[in-house]
Amino acid sequence: MIDKIARRRRRPASVPVYLALAIVLVVTAGPFLWMLSTSLKPQADQYDGRFIPARLTLRNYERLISSAPYLLDEVLNSFEISLLNTAGQVVTCAMAGFIFAVFRFKGSKLLFGLLLATFVIPPQVALIPNFIFFSKIGLVGTKLPLWITAFLGGAYGTFLLRQYYTSIPIELAEAGRMDGVTLPGMFFRIYLPLGKPALSALAIITFTGTWNDLIRPLIYLPSQQKLTTLTVGLSLYQATYSGQWTFLMACAVLSVFPILLIFFVAQKQIIEGVALTGIK
Amino acid sequence: MTGTLKPLGAERVWLWAMLAPTILGIIFGTAGSLVASGAISLLKWDLINPASWVGLGNYSQLAVDPKFLASIRVTLEFTALYVPLCIVGSLALALLLNRGGHGQGFFRTMVFAPSITSAVAIGLIFNWIYAKDEGLLNRMIAAVGLPTVNWLGDRNIFFSVTIANVWGALGEGAIILLAGLKSVPATYYEAATIDGASARKKFFSITLPLISPAIFFQVIIATVNALQAFEYIYMLTRRTQGESAMATVVYMVYRNGFRWFSMGLASAQAMILAVVIIALMVVYFRLEKKLVTYD
Amino acid sequence: MPKKRSLSLAALCCAVACCALLSVSCGGGKKAAGTIKVLNWGNEQEGKVWTDLAADFQKKTGIKAEVETAEWSVYWDKINTLYAANTPPEVFAMDAPLFMDWYTRDALASVQPYLDKDKAFLDGVYPQTLAAYKTDKGYFGLPRDFQTIVLFYNKDMFDAAKVKYPDASWTYDDFRAAAKKLTLKSAAGKITQWGYQADMYDIEGNMSEAVWAYGGEIMNADMTKTALGVKMDSWKLFSEMVHVDKSIPDTDTLAQYGTDAFLAGKVAMISFGHWMVPTYQDVAFKWDVAPLPKGPAGRATSINSAGFVMAKNCKNPDAGWEWIKYVLSKEGQTRLAQLGFAIPIRKEVAESAAFLDQKVKIDQKVFLDAVQYAHMKPVFRGYDQWSSAFGDAMSAFYKPDVKVEKVIADAVAAADAALAKAAK
Repeated sequence: MIDKIARRRRRPASVPVYLALAIVLVVTAGPFLWMLSTSLKPQADQYDGRFIPARLTLRNYERLISSAPYLLDEVLNSFEISLLNTAGQVVTCAMAGFIFAVFRFKGSKLLFGLLLATFVIPPQVALIPNFIFFSKIGLVGTKLPLWITAFLGGAYGTFLLRQYYTSIPIELAEAGRMDGVTLPGMFFRIYLPLGKPALSALAIITFTGTWNDLIRPLIYLPSQQKLTTLTVGLSLYQATYSGQWTFLMACAVLSVFPILLIFFVAQKQIIEGVALTGIK
Repeated sequence: MTGTLKPLGAERVWLWAMLAPTILGIIFGTAGSLVASGAISLLKWDLINPASWVGLGNYSQLAVDPKFLASIRVTLEFTALYVPLCIVGSLALALLLNRGGHGQGFFRTMVFAPSITSAVAIGLIFNWIYAKDEGLLNRMIAAVGLPTVNWLGDRNIFFSVTIANVWGALGEGAIILLAGLKSVPATYYEAATIDGASARKKFFSITLPLISPAIFFQVIIATVNALQAFEYIYMLTRRTQGESAMATVVYMVYRNGFRWFSMGLASAQAMILAVVIIALMVVYFRLEKKLVTYD
Repeated sequence: MPKKRSLSLAALCCAVACCALLSVSCGGGKKAAGTIKVLNWGNEQEGKVWTDLAADFQKKTGIKAEVETAEWSVYWDKINTLYAANTPPEVFAMDAPLFMDWYTRDALASVQPYLDKDKAFLDGVYPQTLAAYKTDKGYFGLPRDFQTIVLFYNKDMFDAAKVKYPDASWTYDDFRAAAKKLTLKSAAGKITQWGYQADMYDIEGNMSEAVWAYGGEIMNADMTKTALGVKMDSWKLFSEMVHVDKSIPDTDTLAQYGTDAFLAGKVAMISFGHWMVPTYQDVAFKWDVAPLPKGPAGRATSINSAGFVMAKNCKNPDAGWEWIKYVLSKEGQTRLAQLGFAIPIRKEVAESAAFLDQKVKIDQKVFLDAVQYAHMKPVFRGYDQWSSAFGDAMSAFYKPDVKVEKVIADAVAAADAALAKAAK
């Protein structure tokens, strides 16, 4: 009986469902396609309102290299900062998540409670004290403030990983201990490999979150285009090249492309990872 | 709440070593920020001249500042519109994806794509879609002979920005809720079918209660994101003067702190935002007990 | 994606509190050599000019000037950030109206000691440009070039509409009538070309100039209250051009063509200073410049200088002064004049071929003649906040259902409130 129901639920969907999905697809992909289509038009045709360009050109992309020489730097900076943030979060949150999932010690409950309490404090509260701190030690105008803080753990990531690690039978750790495995050994040989789905979820969330962050790079690297991130660069181009839609859309394509590429290659893991974050 | 093993011997040292970054983070990060922000909010300080003590002066100034009060109103109104749209939209999308047969993976991927794209890029694209005469939307409206809409004009900007923001967020919510839907055991539906329950009844008495934890999680994420809205506001509502046509609290913090360098005033604004967020979270977790079903 | 929730390394609060009380100071009498940092606002083209100038400067003095040119929209954020990081640039470009803000923040270094050693240095400089940098403690900066606002017009559009080119006889009524004739509609009734672009958020450009021409003022005599609402004639003129004649596009319409619809070939007239000349020299249409129209109180325009100031706690003030001296010298001014972004502050250079014979053949004298009837932009503490508040409130100017009297009254109130706050 269960098999029958399961099979029934897997059959091809009905026509109305596909129709609805088609509408969703148009709404989702439409803006991306419009961006791409505009970026391939000569500027003279930008107001022609055609979805399929009458004349195709790569001129806007050539201009990216000549008029926006820092765009490539900005892409690389965004990568660098996002990767460093990801590394910091994954390492420190995995360690803390592991400890909280496995051990009970004096103050463990209190510490975990404190960590969770920080979850509700908005990051904007840290914006000004952090800025003042980094300005007084002369690091404003460098990339460091944009990633160093990721190496101090975090409530979200620690909670996510602890939840996942608690689903790993504690007997594994106990058995390991009998065999003389040290604490780091337990972490590296048992928990880290078994926790891969949760780790990749955290990595993805951190990476895209940093990649898309605007306010912090805007504060620390407002206009050194060689050093700043793509989000700041794009917002600058919006002002500088306002009205030059074909060129601006080419900039947008370049900024969207790397992350969409990663996404399409790794979409299965990414989507499963994100789904994981929502399940208690 | 925490694990069960008691640390032995050298493990005690390892344990604290591995927790060290997190502990430092709590002390110097969040807790330190909160205390420091609170202290700075009592000062008048532009980082060039020495700080001077103003007590609650920044707060009393904000209490009568029409621009700041307007930014609180805008932020709350935005949240009130954004959160339900996000939740209902994500749920509808998730239900739709759950019904889809062949090609489900493809649709899932496409729906998720906006969530992975930066808000700055999406804001840029929507600027072009919303443009007054030449934009895609008005082109399409004009093509079918209807009067065009000034999407980013005063009256509509609030809704246009919200819609762009929801567009960027729906996919992620849908994926999380879809996972919730998939975890509902098929046997529940089977039993309901045998009892002759309608599709509507199944949705309200089985699906909704069982995925309520996932929905609750989504509500929290959406609310926190809405109260901290900045990227879309920056990209879609910034005027030539640098002010915003729809300034949210975070936008005000940014302007006051990093354009006018009024560190005290900006800190006071951030503190007020923190209080609003914490208060809302307390309300949510109170409601959780009534509305969310666990097992 | 959920917002990343990494905890941030905050200030140790006590460290912050200590820092608040410390003021780091440096500077002093090192000899002029080494490296300096110079900041300018401007576009890429301007940036290149400054880099070239820095190369000449290094050849001449041996001082290496690291020149950075940032877009206006982020320029002040950048300066603020450098100050906050305790690494202020030796020299940075100053917009004259903002001078008082920076001076009263005690952020600038005096250049008076250098001037005292070189008494003849300011001879031959347009006196109108100097006043903005003079304080009761002497000069805390110097102008490096200046702008007067004139009317740019698209000759092709005037020819096509059979409208006579603007000249010195034009009044604001002639201007309005011409703008109306230059506004064109498509068969479907959609406006495809406008007579004039008015940026009703920027005091400079058309607002202050018209207010003066109708006998109004920007501020009261002691710079404590906004006087822009006293004479309403010019506001009514522009309001009717926007809402009745439709010869001025609103901001949302403009936004899709970029900030400059003259460049985009969508408007027939715009008022700007000389800084737009290099941008316009390659456009596909023919254009020229004319004086702004006359009003009942005569002809008026605004004069505004960009200057150089030195940061108070910079590391190498003497070398910074060498840079200012170089740019303001006849040689430096000649180089800048050839590039055509602004009018030289030295009369002999402004009236020489270096400035008058530009690549693009337009009536250069119009810019110089404007000095005769130009008013100074006001300079007072809080100008930045004041003008931002006024400009922001003026966004209501384009709303069809709001009376112009109310828009101006609200904008004046907002500006006065911002001024009161900033002056505290």
